[in-house]
Amino acid sequence: MRFEKGKAMNPYPEVVAKIAGDYMERVKSQLRLVSTQEQGDFLREIESHLYEAYQQMPGEDDVARILAVLRNFGEPAEVVSDRLPGALVRSGTKRNLPLYVAGGILIALFGLPLGSAGAGVLVGLLAAVAGLLVAYYAVAGSFLLVGAVTMLMGFLRILLPQVFERLVTLGYIQFNGPVGEFLDNFSPAYQGLLLILFASVFAAAGWGMLRMGNHLLRGLRFLFSLTFDWMRRLGQGARRRLRREPRDEPRLSRVSYVKQ
Amino acid sequence: MGALYDERHYGYSLVRVLSESGSISLKEGTVYPILARLDRDGLVRSEWVESDQGPPRKYYALTSAGRQLFDALSLELDVLVSLVQQKWKAPEQSGNNRKRLAVRKG
Repeated sequence: MRFEKGKAMNPYPEVVAKIAGDYMERVKSQLRLVSTQEQGDFLREIESHLYEAYQQMPGEDDVARILAVLRNFGEPAEVVSDRLPGALVRSGTKRNLPLYVAGGILIALFGLPLGSAGAGVLVGLLAAVAGLLVAYYAVAGSFLLVGAVTMLMGFLRILLPQVFERLVTLGYIQFNGPVGEFLDNFSPAYQGLLLILFASVFAAAGWGMLRMGNHLLRGLRFLFSLTFDWMRRLGQGARRRLRREPRDEPRLSRVSYVKQ
Repeated sequence: MGALYDERHYGYSLVRVLSESGSISLKEGTVYPILARLDRDGLVRSEWVESDQGPPRKYYALTSAGRQLFDALSLELDVLVSLVQQKWKAPEQSGNNRKRLAVRKG
């Protein structure tokens, strides 16, 4: 039942829906700083009011009716005034300008450098964690690559020993040191089996690391989102503290009393 | 708050009650910030109720705290009204006295 443009379920004539939808958009734009739930609740309430007022408004001309409804309802700024953070609605009230200036100087002298240092440490930590993640995946990838190449060599040693020998002669395959001496103790077929065995161990290690990496990635994503959420909340809290105004009695200034 | 004292209302019906009573002229949308503030302060409670005539309506009713505050404010207002009435009566009475004195003198 929303006054949204272009919705088939809209119970209003098209032109009325457009006018009402524009009005709701203006209200919504005024509610940018309000929580989504409160925003939705408030918009539903206004929609309900506009719907009923429109139904009750006499007249033949639909446009004139909805315009009269909106005129009676008031400007969006008036309607949402109490839903906004204090600083946005206290136009005309006394402002402690010197206090703001002093606060600004203090923040510029102390708050910003300290804040920058803290942000620097935080960014450094996050970058280090990201670097560790990259290194982890690089190792996993190397293990998989080594496993694949070694397995290929193992099969080559078993199935095409001449080709393997030729590649050794050409220097494309080299087994030096203790590994070469160890392999020399076995026949070509056993050498191939041993290579496949080693390759399986490397491939399994790489595959396992990739699998575990998903958990690691999820954990780090959580850590990052937690950090950014914390920073966002910190910023919002600071902004709210700066804009907070003392609460007073309900303002009825917009209600005018008619002389009887 | 007076309109919500004995029965619950949703925004539109509250506006109708206020305007039909003839004592208050207001932009209809301005009741919502006031209702929101009362709700936030725990002076009214609200609930959404489905309506067979259109979108759901959000009904408001005074809480016990709201009633207590309204009673207290009504008492204060009565006191203020009686004070103002006394001040208005005082000059009239003194004026009458002067007239009487003038008559006596004459």
